[in-house]
Amino acid sequence: MRRAGYRRAVPARERDEIVHRRGRGEGGLLIRRPARYSALGLLARGLTGRPWPRLWAQHELRRSYDVVIVGGGVHGLACAYYLAKEHGITNVAVVDKGWLGGGGSGRNTAILRSNYLTPEGIRFYDRSLQLYRAMSGELNFNVMFSQRGHLTLAHSDAALRTMRWRAEVNVLQGVSSCVVDADQVKALVPSLDVSPHTAHPIVGALYHPPGGTIRHDAVVWGYGRAAAALGVELHQQTEVGDIVVEGGDGPGGKGPGGRVTGVRTSRGDISAPVVVNCAAGWASTVAELAGVTLPITTTPLQAAVTEPVKVFLPAVVVSGSLHVYVSQTDRGELVFGAAVDPVATYSTRGSLEFVEGLASNIVQLMPGVARLRLLRQWAGLCDMTPDYSPVMGVTSVDGFFVDVGWGTYGFKAGPVSGEQMAACIATGRTPALIAPFDLARFTEDRLVGEKGAAAVGH
Amino acid sequence: MTTRRLPGAGAELNRDEPFTFCWNGAPVAGFSGDTVVSALLAGGHDVISRSMKYHRPRGVLTADYWDPNCMVQVGSEPNVRGAHRLAAPAMDVRAQNVWPSLRHDVKAANALVGRFLTAGFYYKTFMQPRALWPAYEHVLATFAPGGSVDLDAEPPRCDIRFAHPDVLVAGGGPAGMAAALAASRAGADVLLVDHGHRLGGHLRWGSGDDRARAAQLAAAVRAAGVEVLTDATVLGRYDGSWVGINQRTASGVWERLVKARAKCLVVAPGLIERPYVFAGNDHVGVMLSGAVRRLLNMYGVVPGERAVVFSANPDGAAAARDLRSAGVEVTVVDASTGVRLERVEGSRRRAQAAVLSDGRRLDADLIVTAIGWTAPTTLTNMAGDRPVYDEVSARFFPDRLPPDVLVAGGLAGDGSVDELVAHAHATGAMAARRGLTVRAQLRRATPRADPTVTSVPPDADEPVPLGRDPHPALFMAGSHGIVDYSEDVSSKDIVDAAAEGFDSVELVKRFTTSTMGPSQGKLETVNTVAVLAQELGTTIGRLGTTVWRPPYAPVSLGALAGRNDIPRRVSALQDWHDKHGAVPLHAGNWLRPDHYGDPAAEAANVRNAVGVIDVTPLGKLDLCGPDVADLLELVYVNRWRKLAVGAVRYGVMCTEDGIVMDDGVTARLADQRYLMTTTSSGAAAVWEWLERWLQQERPQWDVRVTPVTPAYTSINVAGPRSRELVAGLVDDIDVSPDGFPYMQVRTGTVAGVGDCVLLRIGFTGELSYELHVPAGFGLHVWEALLATGAALGIRPFGVEAQRILRLEKGHFIVGQDTDGLTRAASAGLGGLVKLDKADMVGRPELGWAAARTDLPMLVSILTDDPSVVPVEAAQIVEPGTNAIRGRITSSRMSPTLGRSVCLGQVDAALAHPGCALTIRLPGGAQVGARVHDQPAFVDPEGVRLRG
Repeated sequence: MRRAGYRRAVPARERDEIVHRRGRGEGGLLIRRPARYSALGLLARGLTGRPWPRLWAQHELRRSYDVVIVGGGVHGLACAYYLAKEHGITNVAVVDKGWLGGGGSGRNTAILRSNYLTPEGIRFYDRSLQLYRAMSGELNFNVMFSQRGHLTLAHSDAALRTMRWRAEVNVLQGVSSCVVDADQVKALVPSLDVSPHTAHPIVGALYHPPGGTIRHDAVVWGYGRAAAALGVELHQQTEVGDIVVEGGDGPGGKGPGGRVTGVRTSRGDISAPVVVNCAAGWASTVAELAGVTLPITTTPLQAAVTEPVKVFLPAVVVSGSLHVYVSQTDRGELVFGAAVDPVATYSTRGSLEFVEGLASNIVQLMPGVARLRLLRQWAGLCDMTPDYSPVMGVTSVDGFFVDVGWGTYGFKAGPVSGEQMAACIATGRTPALIAPFDLARFTEDRLVGEKGAAAVGH
Repeated sequence: MTTRRLPGAGAELNRDEPFTFCWNGAPVAGFSGDTVVSALLAGGHDVISRSMKYHRPRGVLTADYWDPNCMVQVGSEPNVRGAHRLAAPAMDVRAQNVWPSLRHDVKAANALVGRFLTAGFYYKTFMQPRALWPAYEHVLATFAPGGSVDLDAEPPRCDIRFAHPDVLVAGGGPAGMAAALAASRAGADVLLVDHGHRLGGHLRWGSGDDRARAAQLAAAVRAAGVEVLTDATVLGRYDGSWVGINQRTASGVWERLVKARAKCLVVAPGLIERPYVFAGNDHVGVMLSGAVRRLLNMYGVVPGERAVVFSANPDGAAAARDLRSAGVEVTVVDASTGVRLERVEGSRRRAQAAVLSDGRRLDADLIVTAIGWTAPTTLTNMAGDRPVYDEVSARFFPDRLPPDVLVAGGLAGDGSVDELVAHAHATGAMAARRGLTVRAQLRRATPRADPTVTSVPPDADEPVPLGRDPHPALFMAGSHGIVDYSEDVSSKDIVDAAAEGFDSVELVKRFTTSTMGPSQGKLETVNTVAVLAQELGTTIGRLGTTVWRPPYAPVSLGALAGRNDIPRRVSALQDWHDKHGAVPLHAGNWLRPDHYGDPAAEAANVRNAVGVIDVTPLGKLDLCGPDVADLLELVYVNRWRKLAVGAVRYGVMCTEDGIVMDDGVTARLADQRYLMTTTSSGAAAVWEWLERWLQQERPQWDVRVTPVTPAYTSINVAGPRSRELVAGLVDDIDVSPDGFPYMQVRTGTVAGVGDCVLLRIGFTGELSYELHVPAGFGLHVWEALLATGAALGIRPFGVEAQRILRLEKGHFIVGQDTDGLTRAASAGLGGLVKLDKADMVGRPELGWAAARTDLPMLVSILTDDPSVVPVEAAQIVEPGTNAIRGRITSSRMSPTLGRSVCLGQVDAALAHPGCALTIRLPGGAQVGARVHDQPAFVDPEGVRLRG
């Protein structure tokens, strides 16, 4: 424990925020009481001009932690938060090679829903929605969850049948979903062209009122701030170069039968009995460092945003057959996403064909937006598994946990994944909610059947 | 009124063409050549917009495309760049995001509480009580900036064009023009694209000599045969030198997307003048030197009466000169003396005075800054380069570029116009060499009638690199001001964000929203980085910038979509269907007849007499070559090696995880020729699937796959009298039961049409013949069938009747009765899977599945109440707990049996004949049902089929 170093890292004007010291063994750790966010606080600071304290402190990297989490996105930070809050495990470092939320957490289209197809999927994502609903209050950070409703359009009888299937399963799991006809679609979203003469006529939709959008960066910052307040250390610009494993069957003692003892990072080595892989986009390469092979291919998913206009789109609209989804932010921009790119690559440069196809589809659905201008396109990386479901829990290497394979649905699952992974790590038992998603299913022929609903289902 | 039009001035104007247009409902005068904003300023309208958050009045800042304060609504088009868009007679222009009016805007009250509305304030409040958040959100959403989408407006006509220039030059300033000229003279096909309405770049707002130079270069460019696109923006340079261009003014269409495969790209966008951060920098009357010179020299608009010019470079001096010659009283504050512009004071309407760091207070209604430039490195960034900051010239430069991307002009360095032109000339020549080298390679690689190979000009000297002029690092005064005008983000917001821990460029951008507005950081990024670097005690170079992403300038969705004509696939019989009352069914891209009025009667007629259905969308692949049997053995789960010529076999394909992917029949027409049929919806996927296995996994096999789906009109003739009917129309095929038995194929002449393929198969469960007729004769054969069949009681049937018939027969449909998890065994195909084959796709998984007894099964189901037709997707549940045990996948009222029939997937434990099931109907009512004792409800022995 290097307290002096910690002190140096704290800017002078924040020292007043360091209010007490919580003992832990010899060293003890300085804990800041987080400044509570509130309208009154805004008023007071506005009047006095006193700045708000840092959301998370900067630390020097220590030599050992109880848990090292690789990846500072919503999954890694949520896992850290629940480890600290629910299980009292606070000697935790979250390391990220870039900045917090710079991967999938900052590149997704921030759509939340729980209208999946399988009971296990629905239960899992519905728990996530519950956590999201309570999040602003719990984290004292407004994550702006807008439960504006979510429409999955059907352009054919066959699609409508799948929508009804999902609705029926959803209802049996207690999730609000129903099939609506074209007129009801028009009433919910007037900008849609529901005339029967279009190339892909809208014949109905699956309507999921609890679905909506959220400020994805706020979720990352809210978890980061709350985890830091509980003593978790967040280390940005700290790249994991290797995972140290002993006693395994593979080269260098890695792989099955081994046991994790730490990680080597660009800022120094850390010893830790538990290492958690939350590195979406790079999950398979990080796992390889421990000698664990994952059935994952990594493929970019592109997204784009328009210039802002006055709010006119009241719900999230998805078309599975046209491979497009759209919502309007409170800032007025339309945010678009689509299916993953057809080719596996780590490039996030984006393509012209993507925005052309996107525009073609969106102008078919909403002819009124043709004069609106596309402002920016980008891409994120999706770790795809064969059954469009994640891989969570233990691996063949003792102490090496994975929370990966998040494809195109990772952001929705951030809170529940963090909560369940924390329980898995703390108790040593795999919680029932994530048991269907274990790594062993690929060798035991127990694939999860989410292909239908998750493939393009935002 | 402090703004006025100078008589006789304004190089862009045609004073012989005056007109009026509408600004917020009132008339404004302009001349041909005016932009919306130049005309507004000439008419004394200094306030063009209100800011996003505080609704402060805003006027011209840059007077070009990037001006964040000049976004207006033009008719049904939102967010129009008013300082770029040319005004036109009767144009309807309105201020955006103001209520009730631009002059009296209610939300300007926000300015009073601005100190409480710091960046990201919304993350810190509106949390309690939770129930009120939707109301808070509604209020926040009313602050969304921008114009309005007109949902009723007719979509504009757009299109897409392809271009294949040897050299594409992005930017039509002196450097871009010189590069294009040199490339063209070296023999290259050149496409020159400029963002502005005319070629000339910064020379257009320069002196008379500058404009003469621009005109001379432009004339030479045109004379050399260079294709020029103006009011067009290079959006991005994608992998493989794929370049997108948005042409905003194009003949015949509203906008056009040009897609160019540029063999070499010259990036010459010039430089973008950077605003200076100081208190009051968003008062109306605070402008950049470029804005002043544009207004004066291009449009003859004098933007003030008393000016203070804070200048760190020759552009500031030039602006001061231009202002003086227009009669404006000018005080120049020379940055090289160390004196800084500290803040600007003003009223709600306009700037009134500049306060300097030496304490002087200078009265002025126009404050001009000339403090440096930002290099727009978007295109070079997209080519893989990370720009590097140069401390000496206080701007970023491209670093390492691929060989097919070159830079010219301000992006490459500094110099006089002559020096820039000379450098660009050499760059253009080099671009031509590189482009022509690629062209020559391409021509050599492509067989062609004309063997002329492009000559590549001889190597010449590389361009001598341009110098870099030193420039003071001026970003921010000692006071806080606006950094992002579009987003109303101040330097104070950035400092506060850094203090809260948002201490990298990407984090500060996301927290404050700085650089997220319509110009995407072209004016704001470097200032944001500079403020942050100062706060963190580091340098701009070390912090770097955010990644510049496409598009370079926002592009309309309409232009990207192009004509957006979505092909609708129809068979050769569609007109006939339409004329005979067919109700259309959309099936993927196909339009098909669902029924002709009474599907139940159509189905009954097939059972009792004969019917014909148009099944053209059925996927058809012609397979040719010595290794077809090997391919079939690989992709189908059953055996194919012994299929005789003239025989037909049913096959099922599974994916590598053992999931049912498609089914259909394949016929062996000749020794090495097969016709494969697939499901209608799976046609494209199966074709890709076969090609994947042939091209990637078994390239040694000799199989040619030709999709022939639309080459044939496919007609199924079904019913007990179908043999009589077909017999009456063929003369070279023996259709007797022994001559043409079940699961056989014949080729021959039908109704005088040769080369027809006839398959004796029966999806409907009746005696039936599937006729594949060369598409051009489809209608003839169809009408011949109906004419000959009239005496036999023929009537056409649609997809709905076919669905009824196949369900009565217990035939499943892949994708309806199966899903993304259905193994072959679950669909009752266990016996078909031959695990002892040498190899097949999904073999291990199919083996595992065969060993399992817990897989759900597809079964035939009868409801206890025959009148109940449970909706497809109704769940089969455990009574009491409502636990899901299966679902109904198909259901119809059977006209043959006079009762409902269903297919459904159920848990293994329930999949035995007679097992009682509980079906939960939508809404919650439950009905009882039983698993039927065999798959088919009608003719389980298959007597009709084989007859």
